[in-house]
Amino acid sequence: MSYEYIKFGQEEKDFIEKIQEISGQNIYSCYQCGKCSAGCAFSNKMDKTVNQLIHFIQMGQKEKVLKANTHWICASCLTCTIRCPREIDVAALMEAVREYILREEPEKMKIADIPKDVLNKLPNIALVGSFRKKTG
Amino acid sequence: MVQYSYFPGCNLKTNAKGFEETAIAVSKKLNSELVEIPNWNCCGTVHTMTTDNLMKRIAPVRVLARSKNHLEDLKDTSNHVVTLCSMCNSTLKIVNEEVKENPDDLETINFQLEEDNETYSIDMEVKHFLEVLRDSIGFEQIRSNVVKPLEGLKVSPYYGCMLLHPEKAKIDDIEMPTVLEDLMESLGAEAIFSPLFKYCCGSYHIVDQEDIVAGQVEKIVEAARVRGANALAVACPLCAYNIDQQQKVIDEKTGRKDSLPVFYFSQLMALAFGESLEINHFEDHEIDPRILLEELKLL
Amino acid sequence: MSKIKTITENEKEENYKVKIYIMGQVYEVPATLTIMKAMEFVGYKFTRGSGCRAGFCGACSTVYRKEGDFHIYTALACQTMVEEGMFLTQLPFVPADRPVYDINNLVASANAVLRYFPEVARCLSCNACSKVCPQDIKVMDYIQHSLQGQIDKAAEESFDCVSCGLCVIRCPAEIPQYHVAQLVRRLYGRYIMKTPSYLGERIKEIDDGIYEDGFKELFSLSKDELEEKYKNRDKETN
Repeated sequence: MSYEYIKFGQEEKDFIEKIQEISGQNIYSCYQCGKCSAGCAFSNKMDKTVNQLIHFIQMGQKEKVLKANTHWICASCLTCTIRCPREIDVAALMEAVREYILREEPEKMKIADIPKDVLNKLPNIALVGSFRKKTG
Repeated sequence: MVQYSYFPGCNLKTNAKGFEETAIAVSKKLNSELVEIPNWNCCGTVHTMTTDNLMKRIAPVRVLARSKNHLEDLKDTSNHVVTLCSMCNSTLKIVNEEVKENPDDLETINFQLEEDNETYSIDMEVKHFLEVLRDSIGFEQIRSNVVKPLEGLKVSPYYGCMLLHPEKAKIDDIEMPTVLEDLMESLGAEAIFSPLFKYCCGSYHIVDQEDIVAGQVEKIVEAARVRGANALAVACPLCAYNIDQQQKVIDEKTGRKDSLPVFYFSQLMALAFGESLEINHFEDHEIDPRILLEELKLL
Repeated sequence: MSKIKTITENEKEENYKVKIYIMGQVYEVPATLTIMKAMEFVGYKFTRGSGCRAGFCGACSTVYRKEGDFHIYTALACQTMVEEGMFLTQLPFVPADRPVYDINNLVASANAVLRYFPEVARCLSCNACSKVCPQDIKVMDYIQHSLQGQIDKAAEESFDCVSCGLCVIRCPAEIPQYHVAQLVRRLYGRYIMKTPSYLGERIKEIDDGIYEDGFKELFSLSKDELEEKYKNRDKETN
């Protein structure tokens, strides 16, 4: 068994602060029961489960959070939010991580790369929804 | 005739014409009229869950303000804005609650809207058409309008996320909703319970992560099929598109032929009420529902 | 924009002049001038950013503020009079990508718009575009109509657009509104507008040579005869 020592300085604290500010949630309310990940319809597609991501945020591990695909797989169905026993708006935390990234790099999704035949048939609400979630 | 200020949402004018036209037709029969808000704008589809991004809340607040202004033109009306699309419903309901809780935010948004004479003063109530059917019209009246009971139709209600989530926007019990079941039974169809009745379809990921949607749709449809359903009933144009179109993709890949047609609940009402067939716009569906309806002699 | 004229003493008549700031530099100009004339009055010379001088071409978009007022105002420089305390600048060109499409291969629908301008789906309904439009077009409304596939409404609402580009500069969703407007008007013209029944008949008449004799007669006339004919032509009465 090996241990990883993590740094917990000002940079880490600032990151936690920013995520809490954008989401309006207290990240330390989470006691890691894992109900969010268990109920998530997309857990099998995520490289880090939802509660793992929250744990990284609690520890201020910005690099690990931003590298995970969890928040980009999340489709904002809010199942985690309504089930959290600590009444954390978990989906809002996912949104906060997305927004944190989009405020720096506004185009997570390259609109110009969407094939024309896809644009030709997609319902407009799919485009509005994804642009609102994946572009800044 | 009761008149409602009605917010269609973008998709009801494009991919989901059958949803809108059937809903307007059946509501007339039920002595209620859905009157479209003039010059409405897109509500934004998905609500923002940030605390500080007011820009993304302008659109839904503007919809509420325009709906309020629209009430002056209506007769025998209440302060309800009625939606059909469940995503619009949830976005508008959430923002309506949010501005109630945060009057400062509303003031900032109103500062942007006042030049257009479209300020909002938290005096509208957002209602999904299903809520109107259940609470204002009642299933008894619906049952009495049925001329062609949907016998043989085993329809599994698929609520999707946005009719029931979050707490602020739910139209029924979050874990055990019954409104679609009750409606289906009052039309003479059999409602088939599926445990995946609100399992997310993948939503807007259809744009750039189609595989996610494909996986979800396969599970949702299979859960209904193994319980004996021969159709699905939905209230969300994006769920409808995803389930309908992804089944087609799966069919083409695997050669299976037992896909379930996807109906908007209002289409089933229109069929049972004996409305004309054209308003259903079945030609827009990938899995043609007319094949099943012919088999069941419902056409 | 070479020589800047200094204002001589006898041109300075207090009641007649207003003080304006052009790109931060203060000038006194006659109050009876348009913004464009005033800029020329103080010595600017337009090689770009001016066109018809009649409010139609949209080349002379101007942005200004007034003292003690946070609002951004916009105008066509050839159509707007100077006002005391204007801070102004010209926007001679607005960069916006215009995709190439073949109008004959499209369908008049929301998807035709979204195919070439997917960014339309990013509209936040903030209405900044409508607020700056010097033509008072409800720009946001026509963008929303395009998104909703209501091409006829969008074409009608955008009809007065002069493509000045001020909306494009203000849009937080980075939509090139005036190019969208052009596409919806083309879709409207090609697919929705009814072809008048008499148009075909008229074209056939012309093809069949209804004017041939008239032209032959005109070409045979001398200069004096032509002038005489012009003077005696049928005139619309007022």
